[in-house]
Amino acid sequence: MTKTIINDGRGDAQMDEARVAVAHKLIESLPVTMRPALNQQLSAWDSLFAFEQKSVTRFMSGLQTFAPSALEALTQPLRSLEGRMGVAHWNFSESKDTMENASMLARSEFYADWRGEVQRVFAAINAAAHDSTAEIPKPGRLILIVLPESLPVDPVNSWRPWDKRAQAFKINGDARRLSELCIHGRAERPGIMGQFAQQDGRQSADLWMIDAGAHLKEYLAPSEREVASILSYADLMPFRDKFLAGVNTVPKSIEATDQTLASLRQRDWETWWPAELSGQTRLRSFVIDLFLSGNGALIFSNAFVEWAASEALRRARPSVLIARFGFRAKPKPFTGIAIFENQQRISTLPDVDDPQGSATDALILARYIWLAALRYPENKQTCCLCVLEQQNAVYVVAPDGMTLPWGVDHPPTPEEISDWIGRHLST
Amino acid sequence: MDESRRTLLKATAALLLDQWAAVRLGALAADPSAGAGRKVVILTCGGIRREDTFAESGFHNIPHLYRDLLPQSTFYPFVRNAGVTSHYNTVSSVVSGNWQRLDDWGKTPPSSPTLFEYLRKRMGLRQDQTWLISSNKALTSRIGASTVREFGPAYGANVIFPKQLLINAVVHAAAEGRAVHSSDRSTVQPEIEAMLNSDNYDGLGWAVGGETSSLDLLTLGTMQKAIEDLVRTNAPATGDEFTFLVAAEVMRRFAPSLLTITLSDMEVAHFGSYSLHLAGVATVDRLVYELWAQLQSLPAYKDKTTLFVLPEFGRDLDGSTTNGFFNHRQNSESTRLTWMMCLGDAVRKAQIIENPIEQTDICPTIARLFELKNLDLPGKPMPGLWL
Repeated sequence: MTKTIINDGRGDAQMDEARVAVAHKLIESLPVTMRPALNQQLSAWDSLFAFEQKSVTRFMSGLQTFAPSALEALTQPLRSLEGRMGVAHWNFSESKDTMENASMLARSEFYADWRGEVQRVFAAINAAAHDSTAEIPKPGRLILIVLPESLPVDPVNSWRPWDKRAQAFKINGDARRLSELCIHGRAERPGIMGQFAQQDGRQSADLWMIDAGAHLKEYLAPSEREVASILSYADLMPFRDKFLAGVNTVPKSIEATDQTLASLRQRDWETWWPAELSGQTRLRSFVIDLFLSGNGALIFSNAFVEWAASEALRRARPSVLIARFGFRAKPKPFTGIAIFENQQRISTLPDVDDPQGSATDALILARYIWLAALRYPENKQTCCLCVLEQQNAVYVVAPDGMTLPWGVDHPPTPEEISDWIGRHLST
Repeated sequence: MDESRRTLLKATAALLLDQWAAVRLGALAADPSAGAGRKVVILTCGGIRREDTFAESGFHNIPHLYRDLLPQSTFYPFVRNAGVTSHYNTVSSVVSGNWQRLDDWGKTPPSSPTLFEYLRKRMGLRQDQTWLISSNKALTSRIGASTVREFGPAYGANVIFPKQLLINAVVHAAAEGRAVHSSDRSTVQPEIEAMLNSDNYDGLGWAVGGETSSLDLLTLGTMQKAIEDLVRTNAPATGDEFTFLVAAEVMRRFAPSLLTITLSDMEVAHFGSYSLHLAGVATVDRLVYELWAQLQSLPAYKDKTTLFVLPEFGRDLDGSTTNGFFNHRQNSESTRLTWMMCLGDAVRKAQIIENPIEQTDICPTIARLFELKNLDLPGKPMPGLWL
């Protein structure tokens, strides 16, 4: 029997060299196309968030429960599919996910079948591990989205609803105060930071602040900043510019692109990171993954906020995520043609804000953050508040069974909202 | 778009074609009376969702397509892309009538003959009678001819990428640390000259035959003027506009029997700006309307041309793991199901054909329009057209 891969008492996955070797051996027992993602996670273990480490460990535990014959029976349809796809003749990396792997899989006529089979096998193996790692009930969770005053967002009644439970309320007071109140609370009513300070074992990956500008961090004292994972698109500018220049050297070849992207990942960027990310290896790795996975995170601040939030929800499952949207400039001549470029560098024409376009972008991307959260079971405990500063209103999706204490006749004050959030997070 | 800027771009497009013809066609150049028979123009654009176009929620984004052109078209609301929903594979599949499963970045040519090759081989057409003019940098000139031995580059189309010319010039200047600005144009000029004079670059004039290209000084000067003018104004500049202008010039000069145009402004969606994506949709709407007007005004095309307009695919569902409208790789109806509009000669009557069709049905339909018989194609001609 191979050495067992376990969770320690705190739920943190242990993965020393011996266990890594066991895990690699286990991965070899899986069909070829399942191996790259798992091997990649093992090789980048220290850059994984606690949730990811636990997920891999749970999967390995589940895999160990299968006798060879049972695993063969489970995976035979997938192996057969790989045979029909001709995977053995591909230049297929088993050590990591590559663009070439993805491209070859996606253009196979069996791609949809393959995806279905991989999901089936993963689900079966995870199910086998389920009993040994029962989930501990978690307190309430929060997603706080801020559409700042400068964004002329359409009235709520013209929106595509985010959720059938969603409700909108006018705020009796100044909506611009809400972010800070939620973060700090007030006397006798601890806010998010107070709640985190009172609880042992909280990690920075449990509280995320993702900002198109650099506003959210200003609500925190320097000593408080290490409690959270803070990402500011504005503060990342020197790194973004340098990284984008590297990405733009990618040639028109999938194989060469994989090599270029791998080299970008390995490059020493120390000089270019903002001070806030000093020593935060895991968060830096997250940002690089974010930028290499596209989705506009290098180009537009609002795309950065959405994609960073979605990835944080997927990879870290934080208790609290605060996302603040912002502006983009109008595309300049030429950059409207070659938009995957640094507009400031290509054209010296002054930036011209595009408030209406930015508001349109921010609104759909704010909804995407909530839709991303809905993919995970944690959403059942999650309350989502979208603050519309210009309209002095808040759009709320509350978990099932939770009744909001406000109404049209009783619009909440910012203080009432922050108190209510405090109570929700402590339940 | 600013009218003076457009005039300049038009002149640039014309000069560009002059130069192209001089290098490649010599004495054979420019015989717009050629190809007196039926003509076909295919216009594809990148990924657009049905809900943003032909749906109650999208009509306002396509006023020309919906109000002006739909009432005179045969419209297919259920057109399926059952292949790989990438640009190179989709356009290759449309022009070859077979679902292509190729390198997404155009490393290999289509694995079955294209319409360009069928037309040129069976009808004895010159190369200037079949063109593919593209905004999309995901395509390469290899799309113009297949790897099939009996066909291949000797029967391929002219393939050009006008937008790439501007991108290359500007990006190269920026890569060298020089920002583009009217006040320091002299610093950009060497980059533009080098780009326009370089051989075999991935852009303008990259024909299937692989000939070298260079621009004469007059063309070069006009391009520089066009770029300077574009920079000076702060109006939105779009690559699709320039692609359209070059296509219009190709129609005037060569009146090709088969012209394929691919637009891609809406692909800014990959970078997460929904508002700019919708602006790209609006550009397609306007350019299709102008293209239709152009076809009515040119004697070589009037009353003998069928125009096919279709998105290559939709975009992914909101809430998908592929990040919704950003991408087009999800195996969903939102991504695979799109629409097509046919206008002109082959249209029996204005009607909506609700029977589902596939994009690989377009090739046999066009083959029938040109009376090409006994082609080994899996699709079947589309209903509702005079074939």
